[in-house]
Amino acid sequence: MMMMDSFWRFWSFSGPLRTRQGLRYLFKMSLAVSLRRALLVLLSGAIFILTVLYWNQGGGKTQAYSEALERPHSHKDGTAFPIPVEKFWTYKCENDRCMRVSYHAGKSAKRVSFITCSMTCGYVNIWPAPTIKSLVSAQTTSFSVEIVQLEMDTPHREVRKQLQLAFDSFLKDLRQIQRLDYATSPAEMGESESSSWSSNNDMVGAATSGQRRSGGLESLLVKISVQKSGDVDFSLDNDESYQLSTITESHRLLVEIKANSFFGARHGLSTLQQLIWFDDEDHLLHTYVNSKVKDAPKFRYRGLMLDTSRHFFSVEAIKRTIMGMGLAKLNRFHWHLTDAQSFPYISRNYPELAEHGAYSESETYTEQDVREVVDFARIHGVQVIPEIDAPAHAGNGWDWGPKRGMGELAVCINQQPWSFYCGEPPCGQLNPKNNHTYLILQRLYEELLQATGPTDLFHLGGDEVNLDCWAQYFNDTDLRGLWCDFMLQAMARLKMANNGVSPKYLAVWSSALTNTKCLPNSQFTVQVWGGSTWQENYDLLDNGYNVIFSHVDAWYLDCGFGSWRSTGEAACSPYRTWQNVYKHRPWERMRLDKKRRKQVLGGEACLWTEQVDENQLDNRLWPRAGALGERLWSDPSDDHDLDIMAPEVFRRISLFRTRLVELGIKAEALFPKYCAQNPGECI
Amino acid sequence: MRFSGHNRYHCSTAPTATATATLVVCICLALAVGLTQGDDSAEVIASGSRKWFCSQTDICRPEDELENGVGYLEEHFESQRDCRLSCGKYGSIWPMPTGVECSLSHERVHFDPWKVRFHVVAPSEATTQFLRETNRLFVSNLLKECTRNCTLASSKQILVRATVSSNSLVLDWRTDESYSMVLRTTETATFVDIQAATVYGARHSFETLSNLVTGSVSNGLLLVSAARISDRPAYPHRGVLLDTSRNFIPLRYLRSTLDAMAASKMNVLHWHVVDTHSFPLEITRVPEMQRYGAYSASQTYSRTDAVNLVKYARLRGIRILIEIDGPSHAGNGWQWGPAAGLGNMSVCLNQSPWRSFCVQPPCGQLNPMNDHMYAVLKEILEDVAEVGAPEETVHMGGDEVYLPCWNNTEEIVAKMRAQGYDRSENSFLRLWSQFHQRNLNAWDDINERMYPSIKEPKPVIIWSSHLTVPKYIETFLPKERFIIQTWVDSADPLNRELLQRGYRLIISTKNAWYLDHGFWGSTSYYNWRTVYASGMPMGNHSSQVLGGEACMWSEFVDHNSLESRIWPRAGAAAERLWSNPKSSALVAQQRFYRYRERLLARGIHADAVIPRWCVLHEGRCL
Repeated sequence: MMMMDSFWRFWSFSGPLRTRQGLRYLFKMSLAVSLRRALLVLLSGAIFILTVLYWNQGGGKTQAYSEALERPHSHKDGTAFPIPVEKFWTYKCENDRCMRVSYHAGKSAKRVSFITCSMTCGYVNIWPAPTIKSLVSAQTTSFSVEIVQLEMDTPHREVRKQLQLAFDSFLKDLRQIQRLDYATSPAEMGESESSSWSSNNDMVGAATSGQRRSGGLESLLVKISVQKSGDVDFSLDNDESYQLSTITESHRLLVEIKANSFFGARHGLSTLQQLIWFDDEDHLLHTYVNSKVKDAPKFRYRGLMLDTSRHFFSVEAIKRTIMGMGLAKLNRFHWHLTDAQSFPYISRNYPELAEHGAYSESETYTEQDVREVVDFARIHGVQVIPEIDAPAHAGNGWDWGPKRGMGELAVCINQQPWSFYCGEPPCGQLNPKNNHTYLILQRLYEELLQATGPTDLFHLGGDEVNLDCWAQYFNDTDLRGLWCDFMLQAMARLKMANNGVSPKYLAVWSSALTNTKCLPNSQFTVQVWGGSTWQENYDLLDNGYNVIFSHVDAWYLDCGFGSWRSTGEAACSPYRTWQNVYKHRPWERMRLDKKRRKQVLGGEACLWTEQVDENQLDNRLWPRAGALGERLWSDPSDDHDLDIMAPEVFRRISLFRTRLVELGIKAEALFPKYCAQNPGECI
Repeated sequence: MRFSGHNRYHCSTAPTATATATLVVCICLALAVGLTQGDDSAEVIASGSRKWFCSQTDICRPEDELENGVGYLEEHFESQRDCRLSCGKYGSIWPMPTGVECSLSHERVHFDPWKVRFHVVAPSEATTQFLRETNRLFVSNLLKECTRNCTLASSKQILVRATVSSNSLVLDWRTDESYSMVLRTTETATFVDIQAATVYGARHSFETLSNLVTGSVSNGLLLVSAARISDRPAYPHRGVLLDTSRNFIPLRYLRSTLDAMAASKMNVLHWHVVDTHSFPLEITRVPEMQRYGAYSASQTYSRTDAVNLVKYARLRGIRILIEIDGPSHAGNGWQWGPAAGLGNMSVCLNQSPWRSFCVQPPCGQLNPMNDHMYAVLKEILEDVAEVGAPEETVHMGGDEVYLPCWNNTEEIVAKMRAQGYDRSENSFLRLWSQFHQRNLNAWDDINERMYPSIKEPKPVIIWSSHLTVPKYIETFLPKERFIIQTWVDSADPLNRELLQRGYRLIISTKNAWYLDHGFWGSTSYYNWRTVYASGMPMGNHSSQVLGGEACMWSEFVDHNSLESRIWPRAGAAAERLWSNPKSSALVAQQRFYRYRERLLARGIHADAVIPRWCVLHEGRCL
């Protein structure tokens, strides 16, 4: 009997998961006459089992244990909207600060939700802050997403197409913000004061079914005008400025976004999204009756780097990251596609690289995946910059040369003791004297350029070459020269891959090589990852290189988790808090003159993934990458001491973090929720 | 097909009224599952069809990467995980067993998890039922190990016989959690013979058994074919502290924390449910607490939630120890006193500038001169006693009292004067200790009434504080009644001094087991090796050490980052507390990485600790 019992219990494990599908299945079955008999058999089986189960029910105390498990879990779980409704509180605006006041329905005046108070009290809440002008009216109005329409005024077909896609994505976000696809509990609706304290606030139908009011607006028209540039390909010369104004006349709200390019217009949409919020009193979207924003970025290159070699990240996770970048107006996704650990990219020309280098068949990116990411990124205003790091940081995936008669494509692969031949295990460095190696690189560049579209910036990697590795194989007296030659050869191959045109900006990581002048400063841009106080910062600028700052002491988001190896110190502890990221202004601290300041293209935060995988990607990146977004877009001046932040920044970033969470990004908490509900009290 | 962790019992225990319909659905689904049981799991064994070997130095290597001069066992394995099952004395068992005996055969049997049968020998209905429930949890965990199709056409039966001698379901510091397990395989079946004193020992043995299993590269699962293991924990208190007040943690994440603790054989969830910031717990006797103190109506725990959580935890061998912190770390939730005619129950509430009234915003401290406050607190404790198991005690908090708050509150100072206190530090300490003494009396009173069969008064737990400094503690806190949870630095002599004075301790070494560190102020992050290396007090009085807790304060985490902040690091603490190993983290690392993968398989978003390449290439990233 016991056997029988446990047997059936196993089967029932899969039960409740798909109840609905099961019923549908059942229904279909009953339609088929030939299957009716089967159903009867099943039914009688069920009755039998029921009897068995009933008979088996243990009485007494322990029965309670199973009740705990059978109970359907409360509405707080599952697909609940990521932001809870907070009907406990109403907010009063005092001295540009929202004050939390306990609210009990019926007793006092109309409740004001936190977000509505925040959006109408004190500062304009746009992250990153507009640089030229931002004004909003005190008066607000409400609407539902269905009335939002687009009108485009542009002579450029491609711009039109991308704008439409960007607008669709904007609407999708609004729909999410308005929680149209989520159920709400009666407690949250505030329908019954007494029942809100009982635990059985079960789900009711969609929040809006049958009771949605249409709000104060009859129509909301977004009119986007892009006249000047028809470019939808990224370049450092993209004009990202935009102007946004909203005017309301007799219940019709007109949003005008004017920009010189698609990219500016997209940023305008992103700003518009931040001028709209959801109010849980009327379940509608709210916005200002009038507003005016004029905005342009301080830096052209506002990047975020993700390493997909130390750990693999799914296309979905990458897209989620890019969505967050769009909201923070970051515009370059630097995809550190490969490294010595793994080679996840399946090359059309050389699938052997992934076959030998990916962690597994499923931990790979196809060309189609890359294109999908690129297309997605474009409508979020983000350029994808893939990097095949070379000649160092390459190993696994490059070991099949001899088998194909192509000689050693790379050397020192996985060599031990690793500390002699590379900076971190496993070792590996490309063979600088094998023509096949260059040919493969050329083909890879070609494929990636085809996937990303024309660009004036490409990343060649080029850092941390271990000369002792090469010294085992080559007798050259000038191994550094070999390294330099490699980079120049890679540049030549890139030119061939790019239809004979060398992209204007060739990015390489700062290294011993960039401290010499062997790479021509007219073509190479250096991504500086050393300490922000190092001499190389000054030298590179003096030597005429363009630079992108990624200082390890401020913008390395992977730091602070201790050493992942059993030996050696943690490379770059401590953790960089969002305040560290935000307050880093190397161009100010270095007191750059006008000319040198122009050589600073911008900055980039880096997430190396030795100690990160998809499970915690979001909270490693956000909201810290958002802090970088404002630093590079607005570059607000900062007269405070090292660890003091303006209260206004706390308030805005807290709202920005909420917006990220609202859109499904698992951003880390900035502080206790109490501090979010009581702006200014925890500072 | 992935199996939902939370709903999996729905069918078999559905209320009778809907049972028939549900069962039909179950059967249909079971058939459907049987036909379509592919696996969309992201876990893929990277090894392909290579053979793996286990070296005498406990390293698993594929055949094309064997090193010269290193001895390898003859047996070969189909994957790295297969190899890890029995490579090294402890295979991939986490935490490592402590008994003299731990032998694992290198042979494995290929089996179908549906073919596992249980025979439970227990002295009572209640214990039998309990074990059946744990059997189900065990099987559902096994299913999560399947890398491909779980079902196997020709599988031997796995017959698990679990014998439990005690009919007690009591789970406290005296519970015997030991077990022994013998596995043998004959031509017809594999027999697993488990002996345990209590059901809790037996559930730990199932956890160990699940560590002897891994997915096969073909269908089904692999199980070590023979083993002898005896095991018992080094400490009876192996906990995780979870703060749900600074940021609210939804129930689902409390449950996932319990799941991960169960996988680590940890047995106490110290639920720091309330603090100054918010009061999310429903107190049925005083609904105002939650109404005035929670962040929102949905960010709350109802009575039912709490009771169910306790049950959920018990089935996983875990106690839930609720902490009602006071007199400090209390504020929001207590502000309704004046309106209700009960006076100020808390003082300094939400005062600013906060630096003058507390150590962390928002401020708030209970008013020890208000009898109504004690009355309310007693009702809260009554609720706590009701929610917990009969034998469960309470954590009274008692840390970081900011004396200037009381000293600056005219109402308190005036009453002190009237009662003959001066305003010396000693007076305030007396006041503070009386707070604990009164609450202890209330707790005793509640327990005598509620659980008259428990004769011995229960000790309560409080944090180390100004009150517990060695020169004061004996005056203020009798050692028979107060267990001290210390949260000092590893170099601090407090543990030794309190042990010498006869106090029982729970250790939460601040500079190793505070999992929130590294993200604020000048604190630094402790990686799993540091957590692992953090030693427990040894010496003459070490038997007074009940165990320890890894602490997850939630100022800078909410459910978005909770799991990865706690796990897998708390697992390193788990091995310290269960096994208290003399060996270092270096020796444990392969086992630890496998343990992390098991957490992932069970749906816990544990942090990555090393590049994947290093996990796949053992011993190459030292």
